[in-house]
Amino acid sequence: MVNLNVRPILSALIRNRTGAVLIALEIAIALAVMVNAAWIIAQRVQQIEEPSGVDARDTFAIGLARLSSKSDLGSAQQEDLAYLRSLPGVISASATSSVPLSRYGQGTSLSADHGPQAPMTATRMLEADATTLPTLGARIVAGRNFTATDIRPLTTALFQTYPEVIITQSLADKIFPGGNALGKPVYAGDSTPMTVIGVTSDFIPSAPSGSPHYDALLLPQTPGDFGFYFCLVRTRPGMTSALLQTARRHLATSNLDRVVFLAQTLGYYRQQLNAESRDVAIFLTLVTALILSVTCLGIFGLTTFNVSTRTKQIGTMRAVGARKRDIVAHYLIENAIVLIAGALVGCALALGVGQWLTEQYQLPRLDPTFLAIGVIGLAVLGQLAAWHPARRAATVPPSVATRTI
Amino acid sequence: MLSYYLRLAINSLRRTPGLTALMVGAIALGIAACIVTLTVYHTMSGNPIWWKNNVLYAVTMDSWSLGAPFDALHPRLPPPELTYKDALYLAGSDIPKRKVIMTELQGMLNGAPGQAMPLRVMTRTTTKDFFAMFDVPFEYGGGWRGSDTEALPEIVLTKQVNDELFGGADSVGQSILWNGHRFRVVGVLRNWQPLPRFYDVIDGAFAAPQDMDQVYVPFPWVSALQALPWGNMACNGDSGSLGNYGKFLNSECIWIQMWAELPSAAGRQRFHAFMDAYWAAQHKLGRFPRPLNNHLTDVGQWLRVNSVVSSDSRILLRVAFAFLAVCLINTVGILLTKFLRGAPIIGVRRALGASRRQIFMQHIVEVGMVSVAGGLLGLALGAAGLAGVQAIYGQDNTYGMLAHFDPMGVAWALALAAAATLAAGLYPAWSVGRVPPAGYLKGR
Repeated sequence: MVNLNVRPILSALIRNRTGAVLIALEIAIALAVMVNAAWIIAQRVQQIEEPSGVDARDTFAIGLARLSSKSDLGSAQQEDLAYLRSLPGVISASATSSVPLSRYGQGTSLSADHGPQAPMTATRMLEADATTLPTLGARIVAGRNFTATDIRPLTTALFQTYPEVIITQSLADKIFPGGNALGKPVYAGDSTPMTVIGVTSDFIPSAPSGSPHYDALLLPQTPGDFGFYFCLVRTRPGMTSALLQTARRHLATSNLDRVVFLAQTLGYYRQQLNAESRDVAIFLTLVTALILSVTCLGIFGLTTFNVSTRTKQIGTMRAVGARKRDIVAHYLIENAIVLIAGALVGCALALGVGQWLTEQYQLPRLDPTFLAIGVIGLAVLGQLAAWHPARRAATVPPSVATRTI
Repeated sequence: MLSYYLRLAINSLRRTPGLTALMVGAIALGIAACIVTLTVYHTMSGNPIWWKNNVLYAVTMDSWSLGAPFDALHPRLPPPELTYKDALYLAGSDIPKRKVIMTELQGMLNGAPGQAMPLRVMTRTTTKDFFAMFDVPFEYGGGWRGSDTEALPEIVLTKQVNDELFGGADSVGQSILWNGHRFRVVGVLRNWQPLPRFYDVIDGAFAAPQDMDQVYVPFPWVSALQALPWGNMACNGDSGSLGNYGKFLNSECIWIQMWAELPSAAGRQRFHAFMDAYWAAQHKLGRFPRPLNNHLTDVGQWLRVNSVVSSDSRILLRVAFAFLAVCLINTVGILLTKFLRGAPIIGVRRALGASRRQIFMQHIVEVGMVSVAGGLLGLALGAAGLAGVQAIYGQDNTYGMLAHFDPMGVAWALALAAAATLAAGLYPAWSVGRVPPAGYLKGR
């Protein structure tokens, strides 16, 4: 039976309170940082794992821009697509006006209504044809895909409206919260209705500001009215990089009326999109690990130091009847008191920081489970850090008490 | 006396090698984390044209439609860009000392001597004041002169394009094709890459290299070529009824950015009044349905309202400082305990005539050694960390681009290291000097 007499331990602690207070403070800050960092990391990991809705790994994009206003982009596009589709290993190729997952693309606002007070939803826009969705790996979930006859040829007319369009599921749910969007008109700010003929599975269209969403509008238009177009190409798994190089080399010289200005895999853009989240998660993990190590080493170092400078007291305690396990218990209880005090302050601090993060950075409210796990984890690690020095203390022989220093 | 203190400190630190390593290591790690985040934050939040901060103003007015504000997150801000017709009108004013209107275009360069393949270049179409207004440095030649309403066939190249096409030689006076039209090179820039790119944060304050400006041509080329912008554009309401280029230019699409150089407060007021009068006249004609919201925004404010500093870098900076705080508290705790355990010896010293000041000095020297060692190690770790960040991310990533170990950063880091550890050591050194000697002498 270990003698659990906390009073003398407490009074010894209070006598040397500054060191203990500092360790408790350190534990409190460590807990607050750790728990909130873990919470941010969890959010970021969730964000990184969100599906892109696009077969990013096996798709690449080549951007082509006209050399001068005299260039014929329409026929150049047909040649390019015919070449790309003829390459062994290419599953599908399509010309569009934007690159999903990348910064390159156009935007508009869409509404189920028109007039000055209509609520608008920010939407990304894609000029597409029947091959675009299959190339991306997205599928029609309601209605139908474009057919070849729907597609408008490249003309000099700007900013046309289209009688029939396709929207993503996410956009459909936002504009028509009641449900079925199929066959309903949507408006891009003016009074010309565009009828939704198809709803496609969600995918991340172009994301210029690095805040990706799934809201996209597909227009049946041969791209090129802005002087450029992108060829999206889906390949057999594992052949993307090699085919990208082949295609880029060929297209750069096959027609000098237009110039390759971009050649990149969608996997690259997928990675870029998550780069910041991933960096933040890595940095926070690293710092959290370091804070934990420094705190535990601090506890270990101070307990070791306390033990080595208190050998005479330990010897005296042993001489007057304290058993080895009583000595171990003495140091562990002393450590536990500091840990508990630190954890209590740390909980308050963690909740405060969490609240502040919610207000300042629109982070979701801190999940109390994270706090509980943090407290338990820190307590276990903190006690483990003190365990070795406490064991060392127990080996001090009672005879030390009778010696002078 | 100092050398004696140094010897004492070394002896004391060597007696407890584990604790010393822990203190130095913790301080070094804390400082390294702060250096890395501070450097990124410092570059991100920097104002690359601070000397003209209260002279240069971004010109914005709310031309957006009634339904919803342009930016739902910042409903009180006007859109960051102007319509073509408003930009042209405002740029016609001679109140500002200088003014620019601009947009990005896709461009193709062809026909340089010995050039085999056309070169795609990100082109900034702008007015002639651009170079003088933003203090753009020239290697050869200068900007174009003459009227801002005439499509002069004159082009300014960046150093990188000049290196690629002309081998870095003085190409002023050479002829080159830009989008199929013959241009004369009038100037070549020196390396100029302000971070953040304050003059166009809308198209990317930290744009990737392929999205940086590569050549500059006069603004009237936009309409002369009937070009559509490559840069950011937003249209509201009437986009469906635009059939041809003339209607587009006259539309409510916003795609032109404007800056005005207004050195005096009086000039600023006059230009503001000029904008307001224009707004009122247009409002009467049925445009500008939203309330009057004209803005002249200085560079620093412009970078802030456009959220150039990411909130992530702010969080990381705070986490790094919290980490440093933990490391310092750790050090204070260790130093305090260690010093107080030496109290019997201090008692003897005090009894033999050492003053409190001398005891304090003796211990602050020890603190100083720990802090210098920790600071230097932290500096090395921080530089290594930044080099690592650059190596991992490369130059086409925001963090890679920002992670330059600049002299300013080193100065900051050194100051931080010195201040942090001295502050941490002051209390232990001071409190140990206050030990009353008598108590420790009795027991002997």
